[in-house]
Amino acid sequence: MADRDLIGIEIDHVEFPVEAGKIREFAVAVGDPDPIYLSVEAAQAAGHPAIPAPPTFSVVAGHWRDQSAMVARLGLELGRIVVGEVQWEYHAPVYGGDRLSGTRIVRDVTERAGRRGGTMTMITVETELRNQRGELAVRQRDLIIETGVVS
Amino acid sequence: MSELGTRRPIERQVERRVGPVTRTQIVRFAGAGGDFNPMHHDEEFARSAGQTTVFAMGQLSAAMLARLAADWLGAGALRSLSVRFTAKVWPGDVLVLRGTVAGQELVGGERRVAATLEAIRQTDEIVARGIVTAASDIAVPEAIG
Repeated sequence: MADRDLIGIEIDHVEFPVEAGKIREFAVAVGDPDPIYLSVEAAQAAGHPAIPAPPTFSVVAGHWRDQSAMVARLGLELGRIVVGEVQWEYHAPVYGGDRLSGTRIVRDVTERAGRRGGTMTMITVETELRNQRGELAVRQRDLIIETGVVS
Repeated sequence: MSELGTRRPIERQVERRVGPVTRTQIVRFAGAGGDFNPMHHDEEFARSAGQTTVFAMGQLSAAMLARLAADWLGAGALRSLSVRFTAKVWPGDVLVLRGTVAGQELVGGERRVAATLEAIRQTDEIVARGIVTAASDIAVPEAIG
């Protein structure tokens, strides 16, 4: 159970170096990686100045933060949490060597009756990741769902 | 914003088969992304939580759909992506990833294409649904209207 007073609170802050080696690892894990994620030469041949970050790479920055502390801060129960949806807005390209930073903020809190009983809480958290030049690069929103307790 | 990859024709629909998803791939993605929720790699933990076995993180499906979208619409052309997780992906699952042009819009003088994304298990269950927008100079006639 969470309350609407949480809207607007700052949960945590992250400083995240975008490393080419980490991009490679991420792309290989997803499977059949595009060579632009593996070598500077391939990236440059495709017109990129450096190895670009894959579109969902900003989730890695999420795990640089203390996810259990966030869940506790939001007053949620870890065992009932699922991520329902994630949204990304792309404002500036992100490359290996960049440094991103951003603060995670609660944008919305809603509740509704769960399908299997109890009350479901839905919390939208947003992080605006800015690069080392202060430009907004990626805005990420996560919809965190705490499922209801069946009585 | 970079306009890389936007000056080429866009197919109305693309489809790709991936998998089978393996435990090794799930662990590899955990290491790459930093998601060490034991539900995704610890068999005993997953069973004690009432699951039949470990299952993949939703972010793996999202990354696969994003990969499809980047190949299709251009890695530098993507403007937004949203992915909803609708079912679990289990080891052994083979997924069909599909992208379909839904329409076009003009945002701040930039022509953009909007497309729906789906990841579907071999049981025909949709495990993730998404919407992607990308900068595009190319008209997609079939999608208008």
